[in-house]
Amino acid sequence: MEASITLKKVGKLIGDKTILASLTFGIERGSLVAIIGDNEAGKSMLLKVISGVENQEFGNVYINGLDLKKRRLSVISSIGFVSHEVDLDPWLTLEQNVRFMGLMYGVDIETLNTRMIQLARDFHIIPHLKRMVQDISPGILKKGMILRALIHDPDILIMDEPTAFMDAESYRQTWDFLLRLKGKKTMLYVSQTLSEVEEAHDRILVLEDGKITLDGSLDKLLGSTFDYHQFQIEFEELSDDLFQKLSNVPKVKNPSRIGNSIHFYGRERNVFFAVLNAATSSVMKDISVNKLGLQDLMDAKFARDGIH
Amino acid sequence: MGHRPMMTFSFMVILPLLLHISITMVMKNILVRSLDQIPYELWIFPGIILIIASMSTFSMIYRDLFYLRIHKKSFLPMTLAPYTKTQFILGFLITSIVETSIYVIVAMAVLTVFLPTPFHISTYFIILIFTFLYTFIVGNIIITFSVVTDRISIYLFILLTMFLIILFGTGILVEFEFYPKTIGIILSNFPLSMFLSNLREVIFFNRIDWFQIFISIMVAISWTWVNGYLLKRKLNQ
Repeated sequence: MEASITLKKVGKLIGDKTILASLTFGIERGSLVAIIGDNEAGKSMLLKVISGVENQEFGNVYINGLDLKKRRLSVISSIGFVSHEVDLDPWLTLEQNVRFMGLMYGVDIETLNTRMIQLARDFHIIPHLKRMVQDISPGILKKGMILRALIHDPDILIMDEPTAFMDAESYRQTWDFLLRLKGKKTMLYVSQTLSEVEEAHDRILVLEDGKITLDGSLDKLLGSTFDYHQFQIEFEELSDDLFQKLSNVPKVKNPSRIGNSIHFYGRERNVFFAVLNAATSSVMKDISVNKLGLQDLMDAKFARDGIH
Repeated sequence: MGHRPMMTFSFMVILPLLLHISITMVMKNILVRSLDQIPYELWIFPGIILIIASMSTFSMIYRDLFYLRIHKKSFLPMTLAPYTKTQFILGFLITSIVETSIYVIVAMAVLTVFLPTPFHISTYFIILIFTFLYTFIVGNIIITFSVVTDRISIYLFILLTMFLIILFGTGILVEFEFYPKTIGIILSNFPLSMFLSNLREVIFFNRIDWFQIFISIMVAISWTWVNGYLLKRKLNQ
């Protein structure tokens, strides 16, 4: 499939600090790609570089085969960008904000009106269009921002936390709409809500310290963890000695504690039974065993130690 | 929302009235006539108009550029639209020229009521054309500060300083002959002072310095380009 976005050895520095370290990858046309990672991993900066908000210091970003830095004016209209923070003009209505941006991109009035109403219907924000931005809640405004980014009908939609500030209903409405765009538009987004990424993905990029450490579909990423399980045991009282004793049980991976609960990973169920044996003298309140998810994959220490 | 145009229009009427009451009505009792024997109300008329143009330009650029940039409100999405940064700067300037023109037209209508004899209609057109050019230059100065300044306190300090310089250092209120000789010579060679004295020459003596106007236009165009470059550097786009 043809690449919509291509990065070649893209590097970004802020002062002496490397934010993006020689990133090379392509994103296929019409795909939905999530970028996840810890704070300060470089996710938002990656989106900014791809969308033309900030230039990279090294390497090239190609949008539909054209160099974004050199052919900016030709390719920038192919991109719609939604930033993390609400950045609508507070002294205008939501409609005026959208209309203004549509006119900036040269969308004719008739198309602009039709498209705005259609998108506002899709996002369920028709009643809010005439309201001043400063009087609207951030969750609604975030939907308005996605609408604004789509008003010039870009091929590529880049979103930093698309569902930030949204309640459950808005979250569902937004993803329902975005998933309908899948295949028609290339979508790239950053999210800290891993359940969101698990639900709606084609491909996931895991960023760590400006580098891509994992890249693939959720199944592929979790494929290497299928043997692993996460275990949690809650005790009536988990002393330091007991925690230490259980942590030292062979093949217990990455033990951690929250209050009176111990949390650890293990490849075989035997590990779990070994821990239970070691804890028989203590009163247990609850036990749980789960398959691994993205959250566990994001546990960098465990990922380095146990999976890859 | 519905009250905004009415409030803006009220402000457009009240502002020249306030300036007339606080400046013209007081100063005409002191100076009465200019050194060229022009009644003070007539002599100060173009100056008052340029004060209004300055105030309007300051607020337009603050609203459209500095506020949106500093508070990260819709400025970044705007910069992603397919235009060069110089075109953006030109856009801000054109917006402020258009809005300032409306302020100036209303102000001229209001202030004319207080003139002993109204100007010829062509004079109002000349003032309006000079206001376009003046806003083009002052707008560029404000845009430079709006792009390079990141702190609101410093920005406001610069704006107030600039306003005081325009008010007292460009010959708007009194002629440079009243200043100490050296200071008068220095101030009279400021571009904005030269601009105002050129406007007065046109209105009161029908003399026009085309060279100075050409230079002003060239400076304004070059400055617009420099501002475009500064904005590009600032945004790193």
